[in-house]
Amino acid sequence: MFKRISPRAGSGVAVTLAAALMLTACGGSGGGDAGGTPDPNEEVTLNFTWWGNEDRAERYEKAIALFEEENPNIDVNGTFMDFPAYWEKRQTEAAGGGLPDVMQFDYSYLRQYGQNGLLLDLTGFEGDGLTTDSIDETLLATGKLEDQTLAVPTGYNAWSLFENPAVLEQAGVEGYEGGTTWDDYDAYMASVTEASGGEVYGGTDYTMRIQNFELQLRQEGRDLFTEEGEINFTQEELAEFWSSAEDIRENAVIPARQLEEVAPKSGFGANLTATEMTWSNFMGGYLGDTGAEDLNIVAPPTSDPSVQDLYQKPSMLHAVSAGTEHPEAAVAFIEFLINSPEVGEIFGATLGVPASETALEGAALEGPELEVKEYLDSVADRIGEPPAAPVVGYGALENTFLTLGTSIGLGAITPEEAAQQFFDEAAVTLGS
Amino acid sequence: MTTGSAHAPTHTRHSAEPGTRPADPRRTGGQPKRKGNRENLAGYLFLSPWLLGLFALTLGPMLFSLYLAFTDYNIFTAPEWSGLANFERMAGDTIFWGSVQITLIYVLVGTPIKLAAALGVAMLLNFKSKGTAFFRSAFYAPSLIGASVSIAIVWRAMFSADGPVDSGLSLFGINLGGWVGVPALIMPMMILLAVWQFGAPMVIFLAGLKQIPTELYEAASVDGARAWRKFLSVTLPMLSPVIFFNLLLEMIGAFQIFASAYIIGSGTGGPAGATNFYTVYLYTRAFTNNQMGYASAMAWVLLIAVGILAFILFRTSKSWVHYGGDTK
Repeated sequence: MFKRISPRAGSGVAVTLAAALMLTACGGSGGGDAGGTPDPNEEVTLNFTWWGNEDRAERYEKAIALFEEENPNIDVNGTFMDFPAYWEKRQTEAAGGGLPDVMQFDYSYLRQYGQNGLLLDLTGFEGDGLTTDSIDETLLATGKLEDQTLAVPTGYNAWSLFENPAVLEQAGVEGYEGGTTWDDYDAYMASVTEASGGEVYGGTDYTMRIQNFELQLRQEGRDLFTEEGEINFTQEELAEFWSSAEDIRENAVIPARQLEEVAPKSGFGANLTATEMTWSNFMGGYLGDTGAEDLNIVAPPTSDPSVQDLYQKPSMLHAVSAGTEHPEAAVAFIEFLINSPEVGEIFGATLGVPASETALEGAALEGPELEVKEYLDSVADRIGEPPAAPVVGYGALENTFLTLGTSIGLGAITPEEAAQQFFDEAAVTLGS
Repeated sequence: MTTGSAHAPTHTRHSAEPGTRPADPRRTGGQPKRKGNRENLAGYLFLSPWLLGLFALTLGPMLFSLYLAFTDYNIFTAPEWSGLANFERMAGDTIFWGSVQITLIYVLVGTPIKLAAALGVAMLLNFKSKGTAFFRSAFYAPSLIGASVSIAIVWRAMFSADGPVDSGLSLFGINLGGWVGVPALIMPMMILLAVWQFGAPMVIFLAGLKQIPTELYEAASVDGARAWRKFLSVTLPMLSPVIFFNLLLEMIGAFQIFASAYIIGSGTGGPAGATNFYTVYLYTRAFTNNQMGYASAMAWVLLIAVGILAFILFRTSKSWVHYGGDTK
């Protein structure tokens, strides 16, 4: 029979536990000396993590095996997850001080982690363990924050317009030529929907994505956010942008209801729309989703073809945790992932068209991947300065934008209400 | 169990209290005090896994979250004291009130339907007939697997366009299309998923039904009562403690709906906020938007609100719950 616990014994247990908790909560965080190559005699284990699917996992496995072969004293321990879970996990690790040594990184989180001192400054390694002059300077700059190199881009992509030839054939129409006015694109989408009798659609309501709003703003010569990280457009302008798609929602694009049904695939990925605007590195994912043998990429619509409205976005970056105990080994691994021709060959353009010249040479792109590269070359005249690194909380705002855009499409709220909600949300996100 | 104390009149709780009467049989044989200490120690040892869990996994984090509720905490930087700011913001947050509204609808509509279904099936299974054991297991099964992620995925597929539900309904000339993309149809879909898992309350009802003495029904029959009258005047009052227990449990459980809503709404609370239940919104705030302080404040508001509702339920129970031996 159990007896009542005396208050004294109870508090004793509590104190012991509290002490144990405090001890475990204190994670060490030491910064390494900048520069240098790893000691070949020291046995090192690196934790490395990335987001992606099985296909990417197989490629990373190959790359890691090759790296371990070249560096027998370094053992790389790789793990992966899907994108949303990946960042939830990183955030709890960041709070507990236990980030992995090397991380595949996303542009929209760079400022959040960089500003809080969670990433190792790689500046000292440049030219001393890490080769960066193989990468275009504007692109390399996307991994910098206040003159510190915090991450190195694996590859780049740009906003683009995908077309699915199989769906076009089903509807019995020609493809979109690309680079016309927005009105022409709207009319084109309506013509596809009409020609197919509503079986497939010309496209997706592009006002649901913040990148298309950004594109229209850049065509007027400004970005979403100012250099200081403040919103660079008005609530009325946003409401107007969402309202501008009222016509295409009526007769041209896939209904929001159907999009909900096919989620997590997009309408384009589910073979229901002929076109969709997204980042050019979606080629691989969309080939998988649609099961198509071939997809085309053309330039997005523009209100002024002479404006440099597009920009090169790092598709992914690699970063080292500030708390790593093996900075030299971690940098050596990044150097290998970014610059080695073998890794270029293993990954092709699945992490974006390789940023490093040496990796690009090894990649020997062909088929759809070559098409992505050719698309990027073809819009070179429209590619301008990238905007400042995304504000802290950009990822959340991007999601809010999409959710509100979807709600408008479902008829649940008006564009004016949605704009109000977006600004309320932004005030909280950017204010903190 | 010690054989010596088994026959003692006061052998249980009181014996361990300090200053117990010296006549206590435990203290008469051998070295009672040391033995008592050793038993205490053994007791704590047996309790320790649970205590560890309580302090490390439940109580500690709970108290910490109470502190966080009054701070601005984004995970990356240390929490900053912000007083009642989180609660003030909640009062003016339209998405918050939207999530409160749909959660209340879900609880207030879903729970009674689920309990009615559970009671109905329990009464059917209470008849003695062949195969009752099989049916009991069959009806209980959904509540074992219902909370799982896979069922939510299956549910989503079932209610999609051209899925079994859509096809089935069109046989009757009802063409709703897929339910998943229609905000107004999400709530019925979620409630159906909850009702489908009536197995747990059903088993409890069944046990309660078995406790009702058959004489009462016989007496009612003699008085000329029909089935419906017997249900109202015998079954319901006799079952009221069990109904109360189930109601309380199911209500508290319903407030915590998360996994199925998260899956069916693709984690965004969509379409148009229709699956943005309280806990889904809380999760989004905490782990997508990094607003841990706000999320902690929301968690405490939920705890207190559910506590108040449970309290009200307890107060009203005096007027409708009849315990055996009541003089009323």
